[in-house]
Amino acid sequence: MTYHFGRGRSRWLPYLLLLPGIVAYFVVALGPSLATTLFSFTDASGLPGAPVNWVGLANYNEFLFLGQAARDNLDAVGRTLIFMFFVTTIQFALGLLVAVILNQKLRGRNFFRTLYFMPVILGAVIQGLIWSLFLYPLGGPLAKFLEIFGARSEFLGGPPTEAFAWVIVVQIWANMGTTMIIFLAGLQTISEEYYEAARIDGANNWQVFRNVTWPLLTPSVNTNLLLNVIGSLQAWQLFLILLGYRNGTQVLGYLIYAVGFGQTSGSVTSSFRQGYAAAASIVLFLMVLVIGLAVQYFLRRREMRLMG
Amino acid sequence: MSATSTSYTPMNRQVPWSKIASYAFLLLLAVVYLGPILMLVNTSLKTTPSFMRDATSVASELNFENFAEAWEKANFPRYLLNSAIYTVSATAIYVVTAVFVAFPISRGYVKYSGLVLTLYVIALFLPPALIPQFQLILRLGLYNNPIGYILLFIVNPIGIVILVNYIKTVPKELDEAAALDGCGYFRFVWSVVLPLVRPALATVVVLHAIGIWNEIILPTIYLTNKDYYPITRGLIVFQGVYGSDWPVLAAAVLMLTFPMVILFLFLQRYIVSGLTAGSVKG
Repeated sequence: MTYHFGRGRSRWLPYLLLLPGIVAYFVVALGPSLATTLFSFTDASGLPGAPVNWVGLANYNEFLFLGQAARDNLDAVGRTLIFMFFVTTIQFALGLLVAVILNQKLRGRNFFRTLYFMPVILGAVIQGLIWSLFLYPLGGPLAKFLEIFGARSEFLGGPPTEAFAWVIVVQIWANMGTTMIIFLAGLQTISEEYYEAARIDGANNWQVFRNVTWPLLTPSVNTNLLLNVIGSLQAWQLFLILLGYRNGTQVLGYLIYAVGFGQTSGSVTSSFRQGYAAAASIVLFLMVLVIGLAVQYFLRRREMRLMG
Repeated sequence: MSATSTSYTPMNRQVPWSKIASYAFLLLLAVVYLGPILMLVNTSLKTTPSFMRDATSVASELNFENFAEAWEKANFPRYLLNSAIYTVSATAIYVVTAVFVAFPISRGYVKYSGLVLTLYVIALFLPPALIPQFQLILRLGLYNNPIGYILLFIVNPIGIVILVNYIKTVPKELDEAAALDGCGYFRFVWSVVLPLVRPALATVVVLHAIGIWNEIILPTIYLTNKDYYPITRGLIVFQGVYGSDWPVLAAAVLMLTFPMVILFLFLQRYIVSGLTAGSVKG
């Protein structure tokens, strides 16, 4: 592109003004992100002035293979995948269903859109505390509801599997609105003519959705699937607020934070094992990369099939 | 399907079952979304004994003292001020630097623009920067320091991508015309481009600011001095002390929820356009 704002020395002005932003990005985000790999081969701790030594693959070896801790780590990896699977599938399906319904001409649809979308602005702390109260086990609303059926539950204080399931519920409650909004934006780009043509051909609601809406919605489907998969692999804030670091519920993101910053439990404070936490970060990164690329590949092929 | 479904206005003259089903579903979901909020409001108005007796009964006593108590004991004024300082200063620094990054990249006025943009796009997939970032701040002597904390929030790659895309809608002829009139590069970006990209800028500001305001992990890691806590951290500490006194805690949570919801109603369209940017094209 031709540059019009002068030659010689003044040609450097765009570079000069770009510098602060770029430098900040490299120093604060990109550099540290890449340096995670380097740190994963060291015994770095969180103490200022402590020496840092290369330890080769020791952190990875310990993380994956050494004793009970390694088994706990692999459980956390498994739980991360389970969390991803349920959050992605339910949030995707629910978001799509709600978007399709709200794309009709219905009275009050703006109200519903706003309501479902609202939690995204609240942030994990408020989302978590609101649900801690809603799930109050001693006569809270859901406890009362279960009582009708003669059932009872400790909810977040219950067995790990049950507590974990409730975090999935809150995660979906908090983020479904984003999925819905992206689908709605996609639905609004589909021309009314396609629907009319399908109706004239005698298609029923399901056939219209299957043969018109779904294929034309491909860009939003791709975005949502990728965002949901990556987002849920990396999300763990709600675990922190709702459950704390509790055995049998940790996901990988929380584990990284806990071993890296010595917050494994309320009473016992372990040391800051930052090299080890960096190795765990790389494991999480590889999961995001492999699953993200697999989803991309699957979406590409689907797109080719639809176009072809 | 009935025989009428072969005509192209299948069910309009019969009972609109699909509409009824739609509403039933929307209302059911609305209960899940409103229920927790209503419980919060109701609890915040109850006295503690009344909550212990029956957590869900309607608050007939309208005990507004919970709010005063929470406001005072949770140290709200201090934490709110901290949150405001962090959010405003980091967002301001970010936005100003971001425009001068996004504009030349979008126009190709700097070498390797495409490569630089790619570096921002891939950020979503990169490993978490948590550990080396901590080491950096520690070694700079900025641990437990508001300046160090603000530093963490002066970048946001997605915002750059949104701005780059939006600046493409600003006609390039404008650059030439302005330059011919003797307008310099800085003045052009600052007083011509900036006003023209205001919609995208608003989106980026809103998304970035909300992210800082709601952040809970980083203050837990970086700030140990109570005087530096943002409101999120303050609320968690308050929960640690008053966790069993739900009416007071609910009042504290509600005092933070309510302004956010109001703000949301005003800012909704900016958030929406930020989240859907690029998603329609793929």
